[in-house]
Amino acid sequence: MECKLVPSICSYCGTGCGLLFEVIDDQIVNTLPMKTHPVNEGKLCIKGWNLHEHVNSFLRLKQPLIKTFGRFIKADWNEAIGLAADRFRNIIDQYGPDSVGVLVSAKITNEENYLAQKFARAVIGTNNVDHCARL
Amino acid sequence: MQDTVKAWLENGTIDVFLGYKKVDNHPLPHCFTKARLEELEDLVVSPDRYPLEKIATHMTTAKPEVKIGMLARDCTQRALNVLYIWNQLDPEKIQTLNVNCCPSPLKEKADCSYLRPATVGDYKKEKGVNNAALLEQLSEYGQEERLGRWMYEFQKCIKCYGCRNICPVCFCKECSLEHEDLIKTGALPPEIPVFHLIRAVHMAGRCIDCGLCEEACPMDIPLRLLYRKVNDIVAQVFDYKTGTSASQSPFNILGDSVTLEPKPIQLTGTDS
Ligand code: SF4
Ligand code: SF4
Ligand code: SF4
Repeated sequence: MECKLVPSICSYCGTGCGLLFEVIDDQIVNTLPMKTHPVNEGKLCIKGWNLHEHVNSFLRLKQPLIKTFGRFIKADWNEAIGLAADRFRNIIDQYGPDSVGVLVSAKITNEENYLAQKFARAVIGTNNVDHCARL
Repeated sequence: MQDTVKAWLENGTIDVFLGYKKVDNHPLPHCFTKARLEELEDLVVSPDRYPLEKIATHMTTAKPEVKIGMLARDCTQRALNVLYIWNQLDPEKIQTLNVNCCPSPLKEKADCSYLRPATVGDYKKEKGVNNAALLEQLSEYGQEERLGRWMYEFQKCIKCYGCRNICPVCFCKECSLEHEDLIKTGALPPEIPVFHLIRAVHMAGRCIDCGLCEEACPMDIPLRLLYRKVNDIVAQVFDYKTGTSASQSPFNILGDSVTLEPKPIQLTGTDS
C-alpha cells in the first residue's frame, strides 16, 4: 500500500490555488486544499476540489483527433499539427491574416504567453491577441 | 514520538503511519512506511490540520486489511470514534499516537490552527454572526435578528462543497447536497437556508466539532457554530454526545434498531 500526498497547483484558473493530490497505489483519488499555501490558505472553489476527476476522466483527450467526414479519428501529433498549419495557410491566403485570432490563457506561463503573441504577430501577422481574463 | 512510530512499523503493529512532514517549510500530511524509515526524522505535529481520518478511509477502501497508525489530536480521536460507530473504519486496524491538543487542565490553550485569533470585520459584526461567538451569546439576539444574521452568512455561500469535502465524518456515497430534488443542480448561489440546513441536519450525531469545514469555507461562514447548535439539541434530546458516546448515534437508520431512547423533551432555545 502506497499513499502519497503530492503538492500541486490548480490548473483551472489564474488564481493558482495550492492543493494536494491524494494518490493511493498510483491512483489519484482525492484533492485537498493546501492549508499553508499563501494564495488560498486552505480553501478551494468547486473546480479545484474536483481537479482529480478530470485527471481520471475517461472522456479525457490523450491524443489528437482529426475530424474527418464529421467523425473524430485518432491521429498523431505531426499529422494534426501539419493539418492545422495547412488550414491556417489556406485561410490566411484567402481572407488575410486578420481573419485569425489567438486566445491565450491565465494558466500558462508568462513565457508561453509571450511565445503565443509572438506567434500571432510574427508568424500569422495579426494583432488579434486576447486573453481569457478579458472575455 | 519518532521512536514509537519506528517500533510500530518495524514490529508490524502497523503497515503505514499517517502524520505530517515538513516539505519546504509546509507541514504536509505524509504517509510513513517501513521502506523509508529515515523519513521519520522529519515527522512533525502540524498546527495546520488535515483530515487524516478521511485519508485513512480512502486507504481502507483501496485495501481493507491495511493497518494504519496515525497522529491523533483530540478531534481526530472523536472523528475516529464516529467512523468506528458507522463502520467506516475498523478499530482493530487503527493505532493512534495521541497528541495533547485541545484546551485541558494540562494545557490551557490548544495549539491547532483553529485557535488562531480571528479578526472580524465591521460589516460582519453589524450584519453577520461572529464565528467565535458562543451559542449563549447568539441567543441574546431576538429570533428575527438571529435569522437575519444567519441569512447574511448563508447568502455568501459559493457552493464549493468544501465543507462537505474536508469533513472527516462525511462519507455518504450519495450526498443529499447533490440530490436534485433537494438542491437544484447547476444553480448558484445555492438556495438558502436549505443548503446549509440540510447539511446541518445531517451533522446531527455526526459532527465532532473539529472546525475543518469552517477553516475550508472560502466565505467564512460560521459552520462549526451551526453544527454545534444542532448537536447541542442532540445532546439535550437524546443524551448523546457525538464523538465521545460509544454507542451508535440515534440517527442510524441503517442499523437494526434505534438504540437510544429519547430523553423527555425539555427544549430550551432550540430556535437558533
Ligand atoms: S481552486 Fe478555483 S479559484 Fe483556485 S485556482 Fe482552482 S479554479 Fe481558480
Ligand atoms: S466541524 Fe465541520 S468538518 Fe468537523 S466534523 Fe463537524 S461538520 Fe465535519
Ligand atoms: S464551504 Fe462555505 S462556501 Fe463552500 S459550500 Fe460550504 S458553506 Fe458554502
